[in-house]
Amino acid sequence: MHLLDPLTIRGRIVPSRVMFGPIETNLGDRRTFSSRHVAFYERRARGGSGIVVTEIASVHDSDWPYERAPLSTECGSSWGVIAGAIRPTGALVLAGLGHAGGQGTSHWNQRELWAPSPVPEVASREVPKVMETQDIVAVVDGFATAAAVATEAGLDGVEINAGQFSLIRQFISGLTNMRGDEYGQDRLRFAREVIRAVRNKMHPDAILALRLSCDEMAPWAGVTPEMAGPIAAELCGLGVDLLTVVRGSIYTGWATQPDMHVEPGFNLALARSVRVVLRDSGLATPVVAQGSIVDVGQAEWALGDGVADVIEMTRAQLADADLVTKVRRDQSARIRPCLLCNQTCKVRDNRNPIITCVVDPRTGFETVDPEADAFAPIGTAAPGTAVTVIGGGVAGLEAARVLATAGRSVRIVERSERLGGVIRVAAAASGRERLSLVADWLEAECRTLGVEIALNLEASSVVGPTIIATGATHGTLPFSVNEHARILHASEALADPSRVPDGPVAIWDPIGGPIGVAMAETLSAAGRSTTLITPDLLVGEKLALTGDLAPSQNRLHALGVTLHKRALVRNVSATTVTVEDRFGGVTSTIEAVALIACGQRLADTSIDPDERHPQAGDRVAPRTTLEAILEGRRAAAAILGGRI
Amino acid sequence: MGRYRYLFSPLRLGPVTVRNRLVFSAHLTNYAEAGLPTEQHAAYYAARAAGGAGLIITEEHSTHPTDWPYEKLIHGFHREVIPGYKRITEAVHRHDVPVFAQINHNGGQASSMYSRLPVWAPSPVADPLFREVPKAVNVREIAEIVSGYGLVAGHCAEGGFDGIELQCSHSSIVRGFLSGATNVRTDHYGGSLENRARLLLEIVDVVREAIGPTRALGVRLCGDELIEGGTTIDEAVEVARLVEATGKVDYINTSIGVATATLFMIEASMHIPPGYALFIPNAIRKAVRLPVVGVGRFKDSLQAERALAEGQCDLVGAVRAQIADPDFVRKAQAGEHDDTRLCLSCNQECVGRMGLNRWLGCIENPSTGREALTVKRVAEPKRRKRVLVVGAGPAGLQSAISAAKHGHDVTVYDRESQAGGMVRWAATIPNRAEFGDLVRNQLNELGRAGGRVVLGQSVDATFVRSQNPDVVVLATGAAVQRPYWAPSDDPRIGDVLDVIRGEFRPPSGARVVIVDELGFHQSTSVAELLADRGCAVELLTPGMVVGQDLGITLDMEGFCIRAASKGITLTPDSVVMGWDGSALSVLHHVSGHMLSLAADCIVLAVPGRADDELYLELVGDTAFEVHRVGDCLAPRRAHAAVIDGERVGSAL
Repeated sequence: MHLLDPLTIRGRIVPSRVMFGPIETNLGDRRTFSSRHVAFYERRARGGSGIVVTEIASVHDSDWPYERAPLSTECGSSWGVIAGAIRPTGALVLAGLGHAGGQGTSHWNQRELWAPSPVPEVASREVPKVMETQDIVAVVDGFATAAAVATEAGLDGVEINAGQFSLIRQFISGLTNMRGDEYGQDRLRFAREVIRAVRNKMHPDAILALRLSCDEMAPWAGVTPEMAGPIAAELCGLGVDLLTVVRGSIYTGWATQPDMHVEPGFNLALARSVRVVLRDSGLATPVVAQGSIVDVGQAEWALGDGVADVIEMTRAQLADADLVTKVRRDQSARIRPCLLCNQTCKVRDNRNPIITCVVDPRTGFETVDPEADAFAPIGTAAPGTAVTVIGGGVAGLEAARVLATAGRSVRIVERSERLGGVIRVAAAASGRERLSLVADWLEAECRTLGVEIALNLEASSVVGPTIIATGATHGTLPFSVNEHARILHASEALADPSRVPDGPVAIWDPIGGPIGVAMAETLSAAGRSTTLITPDLLVGEKLALTGDLAPSQNRLHALGVTLHKRALVRNVSATTVTVEDRFGGVTSTIEAVALIACGQRLADTSIDPDERHPQAGDRVAPRTTLEAILEGRRAAAAILGGRI
Repeated sequence: MGRYRYLFSPLRLGPVTVRNRLVFSAHLTNYAEAGLPTEQHAAYYAARAAGGAGLIITEEHSTHPTDWPYEKLIHGFHREVIPGYKRITEAVHRHDVPVFAQINHNGGQASSMYSRLPVWAPSPVADPLFREVPKAVNVREIAEIVSGYGLVAGHCAEGGFDGIELQCSHSSIVRGFLSGATNVRTDHYGGSLENRARLLLEIVDVVREAIGPTRALGVRLCGDELIEGGTTIDEAVEVARLVEATGKVDYINTSIGVATATLFMIEASMHIPPGYALFIPNAIRKAVRLPVVGVGRFKDSLQAERALAEGQCDLVGAVRAQIADPDFVRKAQAGEHDDTRLCLSCNQECVGRMGLNRWLGCIENPSTGREALTVKRVAEPKRRKRVLVVGAGPAGLQSAISAAKHGHDVTVYDRESQAGGMVRWAATIPNRAEFGDLVRNQLNELGRAGGRVVLGQSVDATFVRSQNPDVVVLATGAAVQRPYWAPSDDPRIGDVLDVIRGEFRPPSGARVVIVDELGFHQSTSVAELLADRGCAVELLTPGMVVGQDLGITLDMEGFCIRAASKGITLTPDSVVMGWDGSALSVLHHVSGHMLSLAADCIVLAVPGRADDELYLELVGDTAFEVHRVGDCLAPRRAHAAVIDGERVGSAL
């Protein structure tokens, strides 16, 4: 099997074996799909996706898991618009349908949560109401009604969510279902009722897909991989047309969509084992494998080796919406890589961030930003005039790439011996190696497009059309430093680990993002006695957004990193770091021969201090890859006379 | 006027005269949609104007696209806001109350998440909450900021506002420039105070130009940032003098703290004494002739009167008091003190929801945040029903209040000798006493609505049927339950409720481990109580942070400080797996290590079990409707109980 081989499901032809899964977007217009949703899905379908599953819609108003969660009763017409937009591409589109049960929130509807048993959700600690019989009937009916609405609106079918965050899984699992009635004695009963009701209510040629947690990673009472095969077989026997194998329960919030610290394709063995049981049971239900699959090679291997029949590559298509088209054109090497960073595509957060992608900021902003690769060579500068980009980091490379794509001749002037800038330094940290993929890709694209590259060259003056992307320098230190004290900035310690002197080290992380944690992991893995100092109540608190908060704590403990929380660094000497407790005021000392500073950096304003030329990335203000790429595009657009 | 000599006297703020000294001052609401003010804004402010507020100042309107720190911000720089402004001003003016608009640029106290633009600030000093490095603005950008204020002031004037307030205090680029902690510039906008105040004075000029002489202009200043190297009162007084010297400003408002680093002092919870920030208006008032507004947990009109009488300030900002009771001012003037729904300063549903990106509400006033939906006129019921409520906790009382207001015949029964359910007990802990005002408020409101409360009456199914009710509302609460490892007959183990009720008293000197699965005041307040009684207290939780939800109500800093001074050990990441009578077996779930933790007494703060026995007995009965509210439906917090009660009571 090959990614481009079509597949037929209920008489409908799936044009490729690549699925775009039901990811949360916060693009909703209240609880319906918006025009931004339509553009977001259409772009992936046009890019070659075989099946698009829309964001999971709640099937009953007892469920409102996040503010912009679609509600099926309000989605009929917007599902119709999505169907109409995707039909010309040939892709199939399924409505994700679900109910979050006890894993929802009472924030928005101000109602009690519904669940099989009064088991508090781990993170929110909210105790749900035990569902009564009429509640169960109402939710089953909600699934069926929603399926009818979606398919009558023109979608090809539905995908029922029995995955990590679902009421159906809560009924299936011994972790969350302690009922004494028939729904507890037979924990599959609720799932069967839902599937039967949906099957009966939809037209016979509509697709019924199922997303099922096949490993709850809680073997004391949860669904194990061994149990999952027979469960999947029983449910698929009821008329399921497509089975997506996922994992996770209430105790492993990070298990779905983990970041780069978890191996890509982590669910492949699980998918294979479930598929074997289905086939042994005489069921031909196609199986979808998922789990950080972002590499075409791995996807092809999984199809070829009989692991699965379809591959869900959601984040890969956030990074490059044209992934399948590039495979079709034999340009797989030019696919913009997903970093598995989760920085902006995991959006279940109170702030309602809009889904986007650090390597393609147009993702989620399809109706806002123009296509970055589609600039005509017009503008203030004559087409023949070469544009100089000062700084070959991510911002400068993206600016150069966009300019070159638009037909402009471009010259990058980079003062160091390599392109990529600070992200290559960041990628030297433990577990963060994938970050360099974006630099590799940008460099390769620039070279392919004929960008002139001058390395080891310090720009002395600014002449002609120029973009300034000179990055950042070290930040300031809000504590006293004694003579002979050794301070190293994170970038120095990562760029040249030999500069870290022998002996115990302390890491000062006033940000709580990935850098301080990765620095600690790196030094500790190298055998250093390491103390991580944070002003917060926990280390790496900003990792909550990427899903790496809990896993990072486990890794730090496993490595033996000492955590010094709620502490302000007051002084660094040659042998000690003095810290003050933020609340008690008590000071203590930490033995350390060096302090690694992981604080904010400062823009390098040495070139063009009056800011007369377009600037991008850390030169403006040191932030993340997202801003570097976005502003790289905008700077290019400013030269081209457009706007992004 | 009686006991109020000052509170209800009028005062001129430049061209605007207010009829009393109580201000509904600016605060976030999260009512905006797509950057625009909504119908809800208008209804919300109008309700307070109808309730007698002397002056309404709306939440901030952003002056520039680089300023978008939270999702539901009003983008004042878009002309599209003007119809919404008119809706607000017309709604407030209907009650003959002036309304000002607060305009602001949050500067570095923001992120680029929504704006997709660099954050602007005087210097590249990252805010301690957002932690994003801002762009140091150049002089062209400063000019853009200033003109943005002029633009938005013009929109506000066109929208019918009677004045403008410049928020230069707790979350503002102007404060950023004023403060030595965030302004390290070396040009003529940095260095001396005169330089640091330059932006403020330029903004005053352009705004006065935009609004003309017929509208008032106020400046809100931060009296103490409470951060290292930040502005303190002496410098704030100097700034006030500079502001007055422009001759273009009509009043000065005050605040304390910085909205990101020291927010817990701006919107202080019940643990901070009322009037804690009055030293700021007091000092400024001595230096300038302009009227000065004082703020800081004013929940009582007598307290406001005293601040005026003492000369601390000329006006009093009382926000939460009017969130809880929109008629706070009118009732004060009418002497209806017992009828006032006092704010608890619990911060759970007002302040607490802002950080969660939810609309502003109130734990005890279900109409707050829903003014645009609330039908004020209560229709006579088709038939007056006999409503029997079982349980006089917040859920039962609220359902009774709502049912009685809708004209029904309501009786509440409770087996206890006092009303209030769990709230009554929670409020017996010394620094949580104000939480008990919830019960006082509900009982007063129920009494006014004509409902009855019968205490000391146990209710079973036979009793219910004997009363021939039309409707039964069960608010029987939750029963204490113990985890599997805690034998119910072990005398060394008790629930937090047992401790509060005095039924479980770990002796002084005892080593007490509190096992917390709730993450809120239940465990932290009992920890403090026991530490105060001389116990050696360790507070242990499976969560990553002890007392996790205290952050939402801004109680985390205060608790951590008090816990440190009381010697309470805070132990996160820990799950109790067993108890052998003298030690707990504890799994440190991050590392997977098992530890033994010796203890003399164990206190449990764990979820209760919905007490639904009576419900299950009655639910099939066809003689009456049966409803459940509050913890007997699902054990949750007080606000859920009130919301449940309101919903069920109003639907009868």
